[in-house]
Amino acid sequence: MKARKGLIILFLLPASLLYGIFFLLPAIQAFRYSLYNWSGFGDSKVFIGLQNYVELVNDKVFWLSLRNTMMILVVGGIIVFTLAFIMTVALNSGIKGKKLFRAMIFLPNVIATIALTTLWAYIYNPSFGIIVNFAKAFGLEKLSNYIWTSPDNVFWSVLIAIIWMNVGYYLILLMAGVDKIPKEFYEAAEIEGANKVQTFFKVTVPLIWDVLTIAVVLYSIGALKIFEFPYAFYGISVPQQLYTVGIYLYIMGFGKRYPIYRLGYATAIGVMLLLSVIIVVLILRKLMKRDILEY
Amino acid sequence: MDTQELNNIKREEAAKKSARKGKRLMWLSRTPSYVFVGIWSLFTVFVILWVGLSSLKSNMQIFKEPWMLPTELHFENFVKAWSVMRFSNYFLNSTLVVLISVVLILVVSAPASYVLSRLKFRGRTLISMIYTAGMGIPYPLLFIPLFVIMASLKLIDNLVGLTIVYVSLSIPFTVYILTGFFSSLPSELEEAAIIDGCKDYQVFTKIMLPLASPGLITAAIFNFIGLWNEYQLALVFINSDENRTISLGLYSLANSMQYTGDWAGLFAGIVIIMVPTIILYIFLSEKMIAGITMGASK
Repeated sequence: MKARKGLIILFLLPASLLYGIFFLLPAIQAFRYSLYNWSGFGDSKVFIGLQNYVELVNDKVFWLSLRNTMMILVVGGIIVFTLAFIMTVALNSGIKGKKLFRAMIFLPNVIATIALTTLWAYIYNPSFGIIVNFAKAFGLEKLSNYIWTSPDNVFWSVLIAIIWMNVGYYLILLMAGVDKIPKEFYEAAEIEGANKVQTFFKVTVPLIWDVLTIAVVLYSIGALKIFEFPYAFYGISVPQQLYTVGIYLYIMGFGKRYPIYRLGYATAIGVMLLLSVIIVVLILRKLMKRDILEY
Repeated sequence: MDTQELNNIKREEAAKKSARKGKRLMWLSRTPSYVFVGIWSLFTVFVILWVGLSSLKSNMQIFKEPWMLPTELHFENFVKAWSVMRFSNYFLNSTLVVLISVVLILVVSAPASYVLSRLKFRGRTLISMIYTAGMGIPYPLLFIPLFVIMASLKLIDNLVGLTIVYVSLSIPFTVYILTGFFSSLPSELEEAAIIDGCKDYQVFTKIMLPLASPGLITAAIFNFIGLWNEYQLALVFINSDENRTISLGLYSLANSMQYTGDWAGLFAGIVIIMVPTIILYIFLSEKMIAGITMGASK
């Protein structure tokens, strides 16, 4: 439709101003700030070139937090999508209450993360948590002696919770893709004598490839910037086992119990985070590039 | 009755029998499906109910009788959370910030989405791409540069400042949802309206906006739930107790738990934060689920 230039500008202006000033501008400024040594919001900045990045490359804690983040992305992602696929198949196998089950599995997505961290802290609590009570009631001594929140275990315990929170969302995306596949494809596969596993890999997966690609990209971006759940799980003194890149950035910038204010360094971590988002999305696009089957 | 008829009846009966058997087999083959999604769903509902029930217990009963239903209903947990732990204050802050943010998000995003999805002009693709890029930018990147901007505007530890941050950062996602909605609308109505003498802005306000109202409602629900539950931005931009949103309030309550040991009060806090979004979800879950799938499967 044709419209006056004035109208186009008027309609775009408010959103673009807000988005530009409070989102794009700070995102761009981050690159500049990352080149400074800057130790407090009121203090003056000292230009140090790429030194923050050199320090980052040699910073063990940074690599640890990057490793944790990548674990959530790769290990968490594989489990989330495997479970979401199994559930998609299960819910489409003609069982009753499909919508109700789906709604219950999605439920964690509408609850505040901070409520869920507290909930899981209670589930895992070694002296009176849900798991301990359950294990005691059934006499499972090994399970009741397992310390879910010990330094060695806490990352995996948190990962389980993160998987539980995420599965519902990706289940809904995959199911929407599957619902769009015309019935004839399945009938044809049945006539050809394909079994369920073959049908799944030869019919379902290729036909929802576009939805799957979007879902994997969404999960990856979400995993890379994950902050809230691991940060809040342990209270104010987050152990390094739970550091993600976002958390390490926050702690370098604002500190834990006491402020740190390494603002230039923290921003450099942010730039690395953005770079890893870009790299992961590019890799995924390359890996998942197939000829989309039209139907 | 001749033999042929008899045979027909026999055959019908056999068919019925095998159909019944097939049904039973089908049901059996579905058992693993029921077990798998059943356990998962039950677990989710169970832990949330457990917290709900525990919020009505005394601390003593939470420790001593974890499996029992509350023997007396300790509503004083809620009274304590609401007044002594200042949840009334946090609840009010969140309600104000979130409702105003959601309205403003729609007010600025709807016209922009309309222009980007239905009008042809130079630079449209580029502007759309710039908006989409925002969905890939991780919030932690913005923590420090945005803090500097907000500090220079004297809007740190300020609910107006938090509202501005919420509105601005929600724009890319909202524009993404709404452009999807606007582009699915038929174009005949626009043309008819022009012929009838509608001004160009009236085409938007009188024709397109009402038609897009399901999309606006979906965007409003998503932003409401997302911002009500939001916590990392509030953590960065709010310091003082009086300006805390409900997520921050619950976070500080959970932190003080190591000293107080008051789990019952904490559970009451969790219930208070969960209730608004769960109520919304119960009534609007189908709409939300449809909204999620819209973006991904065009």
